Amino acid sequence: MQDDYKHKLQSYSRRLFLERASLLSGMVALGGGSYLLNPKGTWAADPIKVGIATDLTGPISWGGIPNSNVAKMVIDDINASGGLLGRPVQMILEDTATNEQLAVTRVRKLVTQDKVDVVFGGITSSMRNAIKDTIVNRGRTLYIYPQLYEGLECTRYLYCTGPTPAQQCDTFIPWLMKNGGKKFYLPSADYVWPHTLNKYARKVIEANGGEVIGEEYFPVDHNEYSATVNKIMSSGVNVVFNTTIPPGVAAFFKQLYEAGFSKKGGRLACVFYDENALNITPAHEIEGLASCLDYFKAVNDPFGNRIQEEYNKLYGTKNPLTAGSAATGMWRGLNLWAESVKAAKSVKREEVATALEKAKLTDGIGGGCEVVPGTWHVKMHMYTAVANNGRYEIVEKSKGMVDPKECV
Amino acid sequence: MSVIPFIFDVLAYSAIFVLVVLGLGVIASMMGIFNFAHGEFVLLGAYTVYLVTEQGLPVWVGMIAAPFAVALVGLILERAVIRRFYAAPIIAMLGTYAIALALREGVRMLLAGQFFSVVAPLVSSFSVGEVSISKWRTAVILITVLVMVACYLLLTRTRFGLQVRASLENPALARASGISTGRVYAATFAFGAALAGLAGGLMVPIYALNADMGVPFLIKSFLAVMLGGMGSFEGSIVGAAFVGATSAALPWAIKPVVADMLVFLIAIAIVKFRPEGLLSTWRK
Repeated sequence: MQDDYKHKLQSYSRRLFLERASLLSGMVALGGGSYLLNPKGTWAADPIKVGIATDLTGPISWGGIPNSNVAKMVIDDINASGGLLGRPVQMILEDTATNEQLAVTRVRKLVTQDKVDVVFGGITSSMRNAIKDTIVNRGRTLYIYPQLYEGLECTRYLYCTGPTPAQQCDTFIPWLMKNGGKKFYLPSADYVWPHTLNKYARKVIEANGGEVIGEEYFPVDHNEYSATVNKIMSSGVNVVFNTTIPPGVAAFFKQLYEAGFSKKGGRLACVFYDENALNITPAHEIEGLASCLDYFKAVNDPFGNRIQEEYNKLYGTKNPLTAGSAATGMWRGLNLWAESVKAAKSVKREEVATALEKAKLTDGIGGGCEVVPGTWHVKMHMYTAVANNGRYEIVEKSKGMVDPKECV
Repeated sequence: MSVIPFIFDVLAYSAIFVLVVLGLGVIASMMGIFNFAHGEFVLLGAYTVYLVTEQGLPVWVGMIAAPFAVALVGLILERAVIRRFYAAPIIAMLGTYAIALALREGVRMLLAGQFFSVVAPLVSSFSVGEVSISKWRTAVILITVLVMVACYLLLTRTRFGLQVRASLENPALARASGISTGRVYAATFAFGAALAGLAGGLMVPIYALNADMGVPFLIKSFLAVMLGGMGSFEGSIVGAAFVGATSAALPWAIKPVVADMLVFLIAIAIVKFRPEGLLSTWRK
């Protein structure tokens, strides 16, 4: 009798366990990371579907959150002014969680299940490389990648709306030579972006009569730089052109500061440094740091200010709209795409791509921009800024739009 | 010319490493649990300092609060989760890994994925001849030595230390002698967590606060404990000093990417020839 009862209890608890386990696995499979954002108001026509795949969680979420915020803001604005081609725009947001394997599944859902008309997203190059085939080749869908990156992405139907090495170096490096010196040191994280960017930077440095004293690569999570700081301090380097990345970059800049690099007249340069990155180190440690991006708040143009204001009203300042997080690239990409849909009077990939070749924005965040035909890249205005007491000051604006010099 | 920065660098980085490994070593050697959430305890210590400074209080207040706050978290986790796994160390390892993920992603959400800097109580550097030496790193070296000595005395010279060691050597006998091993384990775990919290609090001005700040230290810390030999507290400290020193010294001679691998190769070679740990002969 007792045994019988015990047996029953066991089998019951096992069933309960199985029930709960299946419930949990179901929740994991279905829930989390997928969001459907329906357009407000009543619409007669079917929606145009925009897939946004970005890292809302995980180490790159500092960039993914403002990306999705900007996307929602732009799409809401489009809907508020009547949608596109008389149709509302629906945003389907997928969290790629800074995880490439997961991202491929999420993006596949976007193109096969949701049948989106275009996909925006990806922040790191490894993410872009992981998801582009699923979107462009197998999914036959248009893909727009918003982040500044190392270039060399020449894939039909894949448009890159962030700055390339040419855009970040061509005006910036001559400025660094004038306002720093001719001896460069390139400390870098060991992955594709620094390697490729450095190759380009070295070309520009040498073409302008400068010299690269050292080019050094660290594991991506490296956090001890004394050996390098010592080499920099003892070899008379004028400019440290940094591509080490957070979190290690904080320790590196601190050690450089403590060794007195800037105080002795050295110039620190880092092309992913935006307003958000100013939080990584105390202001006094990066006094004089120079960066070159497609937008800074300090540009202080009425158009950019209006967008900033709208963004801050909607989302606060915890995850600000900045260039280094690809948020400006996302803004540019969405608006270029929307213009192209209007021009093509269609959302079909071939027709939108044809229109994109001629797409331009006369005004935008950081100024106007235009697609360079046949290259899948965008010409844009670039700004050089210097950190001064926790803020940026614009020290140079590009003369007109800068060519991306990719895929020619 | 570069001898002073070299020696200082090796010392400073070893000190940080010892500080991180202390707590891990206490838990691993006294309880036989490999705590994968150790990096996140370090993170919580750093986060405490950040929260305190956000309230407008001085940094050092946060640094004092950090070990207590993290000890409390450790105590709660031990009572709620860890104590159920003492019989199964492998499962305990997975359990602590799950705790680590939950803590890390929780903090990431609170920080909105962002990085934040904390200004050290001592800024900038002093000069020794031509060379600039960081004031805060010097302070960290001194604090580490103090904490190390205090821990050693606590574990070898006090009643609590005796009870902890007795519970490790022979739990049944310890219980028979009237020691509440459950309570001792809880206290030990909380103590280990407190040390991690202190490490995080002292480290955060050197590294930026972010959800992943504990991660790079974790694997190398385990390597240090392995090198020192399981079950030996002094061993883990020597192991930590070794790993810290080689990690800092090798990049002076060879490429940093290669140096990172070499640290592991050297350590594995040592473990192969001295499986009992670096201090095995000395202890006999």
